[in-house]
Amino acid sequence: MGERVQVAERASGQLVEATLHEGLTTRDLEVIERSWAAHRAELVAALMGAGVERRLWPESLHWDWGRKAPLLELLLVNAFGVACRGGWQAVMMTKTAGYDARVSSEAGKPLVYVDFVETAPWNWTISELGRLPVFKGLGSVLIRRAVQQSRAEGFRGRVGLHALPQAERFYGQVCGMTRVGPDAAKQDLVYFEFTRQQADAFISGGGDR
Amino acid sequence: MSTTERRTMTLNLTEAEMRVLEALAEKKDLSKTAVLRQALRLYQLIEHRTSQGERLVLEDDRLAKKAEVMVL
Repeated sequence: MGERVQVAERASGQLVEATLHEGLTTRDLEVIERSWAAHRAELVAALMGAGVERRLWPESLHWDWGRKAPLLELLLVNAFGVACRGGWQAVMMTKTAGYDARVSSEAGKPLVYVDFVETAPWNWTISELGRLPVFKGLGSVLIRRAVQQSRAEGFRGRVGLHALPQAERFYGQVCGMTRVGPDAAKQDLVYFEFTRQQADAFISGGGDR
Repeated sequence: MSTTERRTMTLNLTEAEMRVLEALAEKKDLSKTAVLRQALRLYQLIEHRTSQGERLVLEDDRLAKKAEVMVL
């Protein structure tokens, strides 16, 4: 069960059918991590072998979805994933309480906070290794789902997140979120936010499809 | 039951409790149901963390005040 979505297969240039699942379980996240861990390890070896500087490595390379799985015990935590061709291609964890908007026009009003979002390691662009993603558009599918969740919660599309530096361009320029600025409380990661109007524009514009 | 299926309950509040609920709904631009859902999620979070030995502390940097909140 899940929502049918489309993602772009880079090699063929074709859109392919995928399924967006909500309510991922602890077991789902453990399965995802088992599937992705071998690819992460292979990438570390390849990066080290090629002498790529650490600062250029994919910034989520050390993540472990299995360790994030216990958070799903909490009502405020939800996980979503995109699957196609028999595998999990991307996953996102959101929180629906305890986070308020910071952009002044909507400050103090609740939003959906995207705690973690990641595509599978084979969907990363790693120019230093000449690697290109198998599927593209997964981030947009998941951010669009976060906006839908925000609307369903009565948060009117407001979404907030802290971006890893390699993802800042995606959230600011591709999604059109407001760049609020570095957050000292979150390792100086840049905080981005969708206002209601920006979320509407993102969705009506096809969510970057 | 699926994670999205809803169940209905009747909630009896005092006048004061209803006034607070309505004020929060207005301030947060939420329905009263959404406010109560937020409250339940946060209560569960606090209960979960404090049961693992963590403390809930409110801090005001400007006034250099810090107070631990007791959760019953």
